[in-house]
Amino acid sequence: MLTDLTDEQLLAQALAGDEDAFTALYRRRQGPVFRFALHMSGSSHVAEEVTQDVFVFLLQRGRDFDPSRGALGAYLFGVARNYVRRALERSYSEAMLHSPADDEAQSLVTEDDPADGIARQQTSTALWKAVLSLPEHYREVVVLCDLQELSYAQAAEALGCAIGTIRSRLHRAHDMLGKKLQHSAAAAPGGVSRVTARWAS
Amino acid sequence: MTCREFKHAGASLTLWELSRAQDQQLFSHTDVCHECGAWLQQQRMLASAMQTLRVQTAGREAGPGVERALLRMFRQVPFEATRPVAAHRFTPIALRLSRFFEVGAYVAVAAAIVVGLFLGVRLLEQRTKTAPVQSQSASATTAPAQQNLASAQSVTGKEVALKTHTHPGMSRRLSAAARSTSAQRLNTVAVSQASDDPDYVALMFCDPLICSSDAQVVRMELPATGATSDHDAQLQIADVVVDYDGVVRAVRLVN
Repeated sequence: MLTDLTDEQLLAQALAGDEDAFTALYRRRQGPVFRFALHMSGSSHVAEEVTQDVFVFLLQRGRDFDPSRGALGAYLFGVARNYVRRALERSYSEAMLHSPADDEAQSLVTEDDPADGIARQQTSTALWKAVLSLPEHYREVVVLCDLQELSYAQAAEALGCAIGTIRSRLHRAHDMLGKKLQHSAAAAPGGVSRVTARWAS
Repeated sequence: MTCREFKHAGASLTLWELSRAQDQQLFSHTDVCHECGAWLQQQRMLASAMQTLRVQTAGREAGPGVERALLRMFRQVPFEATRPVAAHRFTPIALRLSRFFEVGAYVAVAAAIVVGLFLGVRLLEQRTKTAPVQSQSASATTAPAQQNLASAQSVTGKEVALKTHTHPGMSRRLSAAARSTSAQRLNTVAVSQASDDPDYVALMFCDPLICSSDAQVVRMELPATGATSDHDAQLQIADVVVDYDGVVRAVRLVN
């Protein structure tokens, strides 16, 4: 069964021309790659483009992947990171203007309690905006460690840096995000502060 | 616990660990220090917001159009089924360098063979050229030097008439053979024979260590003794052995 195979085995079969193996690998890995690109760019359009580019890259240059240097998942995040960077450079202003507050956040899951749902949505939107406003190297670690739930070691593999660097960047990013969220809460007392008050209790 | 210790402990914990921290020491410090308490509150708020955002975006995936496009592309890629992924792994730089040096060594060996062949051919050519001269000099020991001189001059075919003034009112015409290698070689033979020829009169002592065999025999027209002017002078032909330093070592009157 293809589901029992590891990522590396699926990649080997896919590169040998096995379409089913490639499909299985894509379905297994496209979600994290898409979400990473989505959290990094704030645009589902960019995220889809990046996802497609990552797997095209895997088809063309997949033979360069060395399993002894890290897992395929981390490798794909590394490739996605480069494509996101390129996409944002290409249309930076467009991506920033088209913030998740406008369209992406609209599709976030809402709660049963409409008031609570709106408050949570506002908080999520505020947080996402805060994440997007972080410098890129801080944003990467927040997305990988906090939103993608990668360990420090996996994030270090994906970003090609030391674990200590990940830890220090994350700590600094959390400080920055905390302050930004507080700012947002102060600016919109009706929404975010209410949820904040609930968390604080 | 001091504020510094609190910050250090906070930095070592992840956001989730911090939001669920049950450490009594941490709590006791936040009761005392308002600033650290606010920071912990802020981090908990952040953890919760992050958790919400993560849950809300957890189901997001690329659309089916991406998969279709990728599969369409996959069918167009020409695959080489025989080559496994492992065969194309990253090659260490040392191995690449060793291959580079291996190729370099092959090139160097080939170049050495070509140069060796070239030098060998040149040496063979040189030997085949010198061999007849040596046999000629060996056979010519009995022949007169004049014959060799004549042949040398006929080989070169180039004579330069020189007029020098060594004494006032007295001209000397010199005819010197051009210095070609073949003529020089024959002249050398002639000198060696001239030194044995009893007709030659040695003009000064010639030390075998000093006198080289690189001398030339020059045929000159010398004024006869007793001439009062250039017009009256009778010319006397003589063969003169001139060493490499320009000093005349021997002379022979031809007629």
